[in-house]
Amino acid sequence: MKPRHTYILVAYLFLGPALILLALFTFLPVGFNTYLAFHEYNISDGSATWLGLENFEYIYHEELFHSALKNSLIYLLIVPIVQIMALVSAKLVNNQLPGMTLVRATIYIPVITAISIAGVVWGFVYKYDGMLNGFFSWLGQHTWLLEAGELIEIDWLGDPDIALYATMAFTCWKGVGYYMVLYLAGLQAIPREVEEAAELDGANAWQRFWKITVPMVKPTILLCTLLSTIAALKAFQEVIVLSKGQADTYTALYYVYDQAFKNFVFGRSAAAGLVVTFFCVLLAIAQFRMFREKD
Amino acid sequence: MKKHPVSLYCLPLAAALMAGSAFAQKTTVEFWTFNLSPFAPYFEESVKKFNAANPTLEAKWVDMNWDQIQPKLITAMAAGKAPALVNFNVPWTHEFARKGHLQAIDTLSNGSNRAVYLPVALDDLAVNNKVYGFPFYNSVSVIAYNKDLFSKAGIKAQPTTFNEFIAQARQIKEKTGVPAFSPKLATKSGDGGMVRWFMYLGLPVVQNGKAAFNTPEHVKVVESFADLYRSGVIPKDSFRLEYEQEVASYSSGKLAMMTTSSTALKRVEVDNKAMYQKTEVMPFPIAEGKMALGAWLMSYVIPKGYANTEAATKLGLFLTSDERQLAIARFTETMLPSSKKATEDSYFMAGKNSNEPIERARAAAAQSMKYARTPMLPPNALPDEATMMKLFNDQMQMAIEGRKPAQKALADAAADWNRRMAKK
Repeated sequence: MKPRHTYILVAYLFLGPALILLALFTFLPVGFNTYLAFHEYNISDGSATWLGLENFEYIYHEELFHSALKNSLIYLLIVPIVQIMALVSAKLVNNQLPGMTLVRATIYIPVITAISIAGVVWGFVYKYDGMLNGFFSWLGQHTWLLEAGELIEIDWLGDPDIALYATMAFTCWKGVGYYMVLYLAGLQAIPREVEEAAELDGANAWQRFWKITVPMVKPTILLCTLLSTIAALKAFQEVIVLSKGQADTYTALYYVYDQAFKNFVFGRSAAAGLVVTFFCVLLAIAQFRMFREKD
Repeated sequence: MKKHPVSLYCLPLAAALMAGSAFAQKTTVEFWTFNLSPFAPYFEESVKKFNAANPTLEAKWVDMNWDQIQPKLITAMAAGKAPALVNFNVPWTHEFARKGHLQAIDTLSNGSNRAVYLPVALDDLAVNNKVYGFPFYNSVSVIAYNKDLFSKAGIKAQPTTFNEFIAQARQIKEKTGVPAFSPKLATKSGDGGMVRWFMYLGLPVVQNGKAAFNTPEHVKVVESFADLYRSGVIPKDSFRLEYEQEVASYSSGKLAMMTTSSTALKRVEVDNKAMYQKTEVMPFPIAEGKMALGAWLMSYVIPKGYANTEAATKLGLFLTSDERQLAIARFTETMLPSSKKATEDSYFMAGKNSNEPIERARAAAAQSMKYARTPMLPPNALPDEATMMKLFNDQMQMAIEGRKPAQKALADAAADWNRRMAKK
């Protein structure tokens, strides 16, 4: 038998490539971002001047950042919605029914569609004379809720009361397929016998879902919830392609982008980015506590 | 077996090595443009000509989308790999120059090369008496309109003032039910928003380090736009209609007029030939600001980190020479040059009475060129431009869409600007 330290060495050798990549593309940028958050950085000569907490003080008093952060936190509402939709879809497509492959592909297609293309398409859906209003108008006219020729013209992306929610709906559509695949893997790891035993004991589908499926995919739920929480807090691309941050859809990461790439104030941008990271970490801790296995 | 002398093997090898070393000595002079890939043959020809005339240099053309160019340049500069030249508009040139991210083009600040360009173009690119860009192409807005809708609305004469234009727009909506025009209120491209309208109408935006837009005249303008919005003269999604969407709306008959650069007509010709055939063109009236609407000068700037300034200057002067500017204008059929001789070429007015709307548009635009100033705020006026413009635009959107009285929106925006400018 080989000595214990040989096994440890082999383990680290296997971990090595991943650790190097993580260090280069995750830890190093996060560390540099933290460094920038306390400095004023000049891109043309790469010089950085120590500012202490000045950048944090600035964003603490910046109302636009507060409202952007508020919008990012509202965005978290999609987390449970996406998870429920993804879990239910996974449960549905996990059955051996005809056409399920097509259903799986249909739900997954938004994931592989480039966000810019999907954004352009959804722009047409959300236009005041677009597909969604067209559908509602047709529905209203055929159910006599609207008079003939009367049209619904909701400004989905221009009305500040609904624009953020319209953008969130787009994120849900785009993300469900991704989490569905993860849940599907979790579901397929549940032994068939467990379900069959419950069935023999007289448990109905609802009871089996809550008492067997959900507890057994708990680690997947934790992973998916974490990922979608981070994605929600990082919402930026969907906002830029759909509403351009107008109509109260400006998110915290949009602020980070604006400060870096429009104002070129990289230190302030890094500080705002660090605040978003702080919220991500805080929520991750809360989720780990909520979903951890009880002894 | 016959033996070959060693030199027979060595000669080709030596020749190859020499050729290789000659190739290795060439300095790459990369230049970036945005959204000009449809004109690839022109750029390929330019690169070929430049490389032939400069054996030690190798020009390399890279085209990208307009929204990629700034982030890519910033990352390239941060990585120490700045290109030689970058295609910039005037606001970007001023912004980057003020922050010290561009090299002043000394040959244009006081050199003989100044004579090549229109003085108005060099003025646009000057920051603190130094020129920071080689003037490239320019544009001004023209009005392209749907003849059928104009005839249905009973409009016979061209508007000579902005007020007449607005009166006709109202008439179009009233008589045809189709929104008349989209006033470029979307701000993503950088050439939209109420700031530009204030300047076009001759109203101040910033004066003596304070917001100057909280006056009854400004309120009147915003209220008139709000009224146009309420009555459907301008479309409901005016705040999201950028260039592309404006062209698409006009092409599909959802807008009676397209008030943008003449390049848009090329798109209409491709997208909807029938609409193109029933398009007529006229110049956009000049208002109290005495500037042409939609002037949007492009330039080539040299980023700070690029070491071989001489090579970059050589390429910049070549790409913006009379010959090359006239060539791109002819190639694109819609761009206007910013070099003197090229502007005076008979090509621009030749299509005045042509049957082709694009040619008439070119002549109409050329007529407005003497008023072609890019609307700009005073240098360094806004200490946190991204945030301040965002807040201002939000207030204007609320006022025009009827969510807030115009007076209150302007007062709130002015108070915010003044507070930030006082802190600077």
